[in-house]
Amino acid sequence: MSLHEFADRLRNVEDRRAFLEKAATMAFGLTVLPALGGAAETAVKAPTANLPGFGKAKNVIFLELSGGMSHIDTFDPKVGASKGPGSAVSTKAGFQVTSFLPNTAKISDKICVIRSMTAKVGVHASAQYLMRTGFEQRGVIQHPNFGAWAQHFLGRSSQTLPASVCVNRPSNQGNGWFSASHAPLPILDPSAGLPNTSGVGATGAQEKRASLLAELDRGFGATVADTNVQAYNDFYASTFELMRSRDLKAFDISAEPKAVRAKYGADKFAQGCLLARRLVEHGVRFVEVRSGGWDMHATLEDKMEDVGAEFDAAFAALIEDLESKGMLDTTLVAVTTEFGRKPSFEGGGRGHHPLVFSTVLAGAGVKRGFVHGASDAKGHGVDRDPVTVGSFHATVAHAAGLPVGTEIMTPSGRPMMIGNKAMPVSAVLA
Amino acid sequence: MTPRALVLSVLTVVLSAAVLPAAPKKKATKAAAAPVKVQPVVTTPVRPLEDRPQIWHVWTDEQGRKVEAMFCGLSGDIISLQTRDSRNYRFSLAILTPEDREFAKACAGQQKGGFSRAVVSAAAADIDRVVEARLLADGQKPNRPATDEEFLKRIYVDAIGRTPTAEEASAFLADASADRRERLIDRLLQSPGYSLQMYNWMADLLRAKDILGKRLPAFTFEDWLKARIGANATWDVMVKEMITADGRMLDTGAAGFLLFDADMPLDGVSNLITTFLGSNMSCAQCHDHPLADWSQRQFYEMAAFLGATDMKNESMLGEIRKLSRADSGLNKNFVRLIGEMNALRLADTDRNRLTFPKDYKYEDAKPGESVKPSLIHWDEGDARRQSYAVDTKSPAQLRDQFARWLTSPDNPRFATNIANRVWRKVFGMAVKEPVDDIDDMSAASNPQLLAHLTQVMRAARFDLREFQRVVFNSRTYQSAASPMPDLSKGPYLFNGPIVRRLTAEQVWDSVVVAAVGPSADNILLRRGDNLKPLTLPEGKVTVALVRQAADQMRGMKGKATAKKSGGGSEAGLSTGYEGEKPQTRQGLLLARASELPQPAAETHFLRVFGQGDRMLSNSSTVDGSVPQVLQLMNGPVARLLTDAKSHAVLNATKESGPAAQVRSLYLSFLARNPTPAEATAAQKALGEGLALTDLAWTLANTREFLFIR
Repeated sequence: MSLHEFADRLRNVEDRRAFLEKAATMAFGLTVLPALGGAAETAVKAPTANLPGFGKAKNVIFLELSGGMSHIDTFDPKVGASKGPGSAVSTKAGFQVTSFLPNTAKISDKICVIRSMTAKVGVHASAQYLMRTGFEQRGVIQHPNFGAWAQHFLGRSSQTLPASVCVNRPSNQGNGWFSASHAPLPILDPSAGLPNTSGVGATGAQEKRASLLAELDRGFGATVADTNVQAYNDFYASTFELMRSRDLKAFDISAEPKAVRAKYGADKFAQGCLLARRLVEHGVRFVEVRSGGWDMHATLEDKMEDVGAEFDAAFAALIEDLESKGMLDTTLVAVTTEFGRKPSFEGGGRGHHPLVFSTVLAGAGVKRGFVHGASDAKGHGVDRDPVTVGSFHATVAHAAGLPVGTEIMTPSGRPMMIGNKAMPVSAVLA
Repeated sequence: MTPRALVLSVLTVVLSAAVLPAAPKKKATKAAAAPVKVQPVVTTPVRPLEDRPQIWHVWTDEQGRKVEAMFCGLSGDIISLQTRDSRNYRFSLAILTPEDREFAKACAGQQKGGFSRAVVSAAAADIDRVVEARLLADGQKPNRPATDEEFLKRIYVDAIGRTPTAEEASAFLADASADRRERLIDRLLQSPGYSLQMYNWMADLLRAKDILGKRLPAFTFEDWLKARIGANATWDVMVKEMITADGRMLDTGAAGFLLFDADMPLDGVSNLITTFLGSNMSCAQCHDHPLADWSQRQFYEMAAFLGATDMKNESMLGEIRKLSRADSGLNKNFVRLIGEMNALRLADTDRNRLTFPKDYKYEDAKPGESVKPSLIHWDEGDARRQSYAVDTKSPAQLRDQFARWLTSPDNPRFATNIANRVWRKVFGMAVKEPVDDIDDMSAASNPQLLAHLTQVMRAARFDLREFQRVVFNSRTYQSAASPMPDLSKGPYLFNGPIVRRLTAEQVWDSVVVAAVGPSADNILLRRGDNLKPLTLPEGKVTVALVRQAADQMRGMKGKATAKKSGGGSEAGLSTGYEGEKPQTRQGLLLARASELPQPAAETHFLRVFGQGDRMLSNSSTVDGSVPQVLQLMNGPVARLLTDAKSHAVLNATKESGPAAQVRSLYLSFLARNPTPAEATAAQKALGEGLALTDLAWTLANTREFLFIR
């Protein structure tokens, strides 16, 4: 059965369930085993496990360029009327990027650019929601982000550290319909690390407090059969674990050599990228790092020289750092953004444009020095191989070893699949 | 429809139990399930409240200043007045002359005009009967009655937004009178904390935000909201004021609601339909709704009621821009801001400009064709309702006509929507979930309950305080709480309220009062007045005036600036407080959440505990996280609560003997007495080297502190 046929069958809601039951028993094979507990109760078969790259990414880092990265001024340069202030630069991988990304150009052989992303939503909040979750925003349900899906299927990734962390933004209910223990731990200031961790557990009085707390909490905390109260029990347990953990140093980027810190850059995004590397190194499976300032309606050139340059330096440093530590084969880095920007250059910048935009995947499970899909000559629409946000998520999920195409039930009884029924982009898998 | 007819119409309702949803398909019909036969309950119609008297008076303060204003209400020591130009004020009674203080108290007595105790009891008893009939049909029973201690914490949090202090808690627990709960409810609903917590709830619903768009201060909307809640303005009146507001937000705070979406008016319409009618039309903005019956055409026809409303005064903007170009000495950023603040306004024009979108793909209209306004209806009979008789001939009248229909007691969803939302606020779950989609009321967990609450809301004439008085007095509200139900096993039928985590604001406000005592309830922030000097006269703008405004703006720097999607800064708030000023301890400004930046800064305790960013309606959350635990265990709030000078610890220290001290801290943090086992454990720990401050830390870190049970 071809993948397309597979996907078509999945889209047909009527026989989806019956088909999946059958598919699970077919030769598709690998079983996804719960790792450190807390994973889905029954082991789930992964229907796409026969495709390349399955399960290679032990860790995933999402770089979220918030505001809408202009594809034309970054990874998809154009000539003619659409051309922006930067010039096109050829790379050793054979594709071009703009002159705003000199460091990225040097690592072109390690990344896979997708130039045919397409979506419909041109409003920041909703489009960001789509990019984070793979689902369009609905008033009635909160969809989980990638880290929560991964934790659901694979369990926690570390005994003491959270399975997912988001840097430079709040957690935005990233656990979706999963329990609160699936929520990413938010770090709002990467150079401050995890606040309020110093000095606890160091003295006898604090140990006594903690044991008194355990005793006095028996009446309510330990007996009320409420899922939210239990979630707080989990958070207290995780916090005590974390504070006693030697892994706490994972949050402290000041422990990095000066030269490494300098290579990433001094800004919040760069520090976040460095923190992300430290966290995955210590066993956090999924880290999101947000970079703000990409909503370039005006003064695009200045902003590309500012936030654009910060991104360029940090992204390239992250890829090289991961590679030098031998972690690029087990870590997948994704450069994401909520939409692209218009081909027409007006008032010094460009408007929102979801019809076509670019994303990047780099590392475990995907091809290197590769471009997938293309926009048309103007950069207005998709020319070939359109990739939806759902299939982008499915691709990352596949690389991370999640059972794409497997239906789960939300607590409210809705059937859901990671990537919202989309299939991985098999052309980029390796 | 009269209340009696409404009651009769629900007598024959047959309920469907919740079932697994069918596969999504267009215009999905509700999946069939074995219907549950419920013995219908005959409820007594609630006698509607009468009009409140208007009391006008010339008020004089201690310095001899006079103002003529209408008395709007008195909660605790805070008086609310409205002047002839519809501006609203609230301030401490203490600044008035002794005669006027007495006069205000007399007005309050005369104006009360709420439901009588008999009406409250009857309406509350009907809630219980309707709930119990539904439970019975399902083979369930109500939970046991809540203990006084359980009731105490719950009613404080629900009615005034914070837990009680040790003094407040022991006063109630020592009260042996039969009507102690009823009297506590009455007292709390009249105290200043009631307005503060209602503001927090509405601010989340209505997206009250210090800064709109690109750094435009919206303090006037917040001031308006606070003043109207403080005056206990009824919900229909408040909504009407928001929808029909005319003029600049700078002058007319209520305009801030619609102007929030000035750049995206269609999103604004979609938001208002959801907020005030609970109708799930937002998908129909771009295409026919996939699951419900709304079409894109219907959405546009509703939006057309705002089609003649202009939100930006382009000529004003042009005038200011021209001056800015002519004089290079003006600060461009300030001038842009001043221009936009003056240009942002609501005005009715004589032309409805709404047209169907360019990509309109249905056959019932052509792309670009102008849209005729038309009201949605839910049932065949709706169109014959008296509220549907709107006059759409004059474009300039469209908004007013729309508001009249929207806020009419006869509107098929307006009363139900707010009743359902308030019920959710105090029970932890709505009768019809989600609250943003009550189109199909028969899908409510208990349709007759929804109908009865609607009737109570109409009889209360949208007075949310009176509505809550009824709900608080029900046996259902005063039952032990249930753990969060598993809805996949069926709808929750309200055996009692649900165990809830306190909202971010409720946790913060409890912390603040534990630190500085209940006087925090009297600290009020009002900032919109600082913006008045930025108002420029239309058609007469001069360079000198713009420069004057820019200077004023410079002086406000720090107060008016905040990151677009982030939260506000506390710097420079101090001048905005009327009367008592808040203290700063451990780097925290100790005012209640409603009197801090809206929303608070991203890293503030409030945001870490889930205060919404106010970009979307209802954006707050009560989910836990490790950083929250770190805040309570080891952050500035932990140090604040364990300070020997904190109100709670001071109170405990004053008690003689460890038993009384332990009891005092239990009352401060958990609003109850310790059990014998807890008292023994705590006293033992105190004997073994822990201090009262350590016990304060411990109690603030129990799960019970964060939850209402």
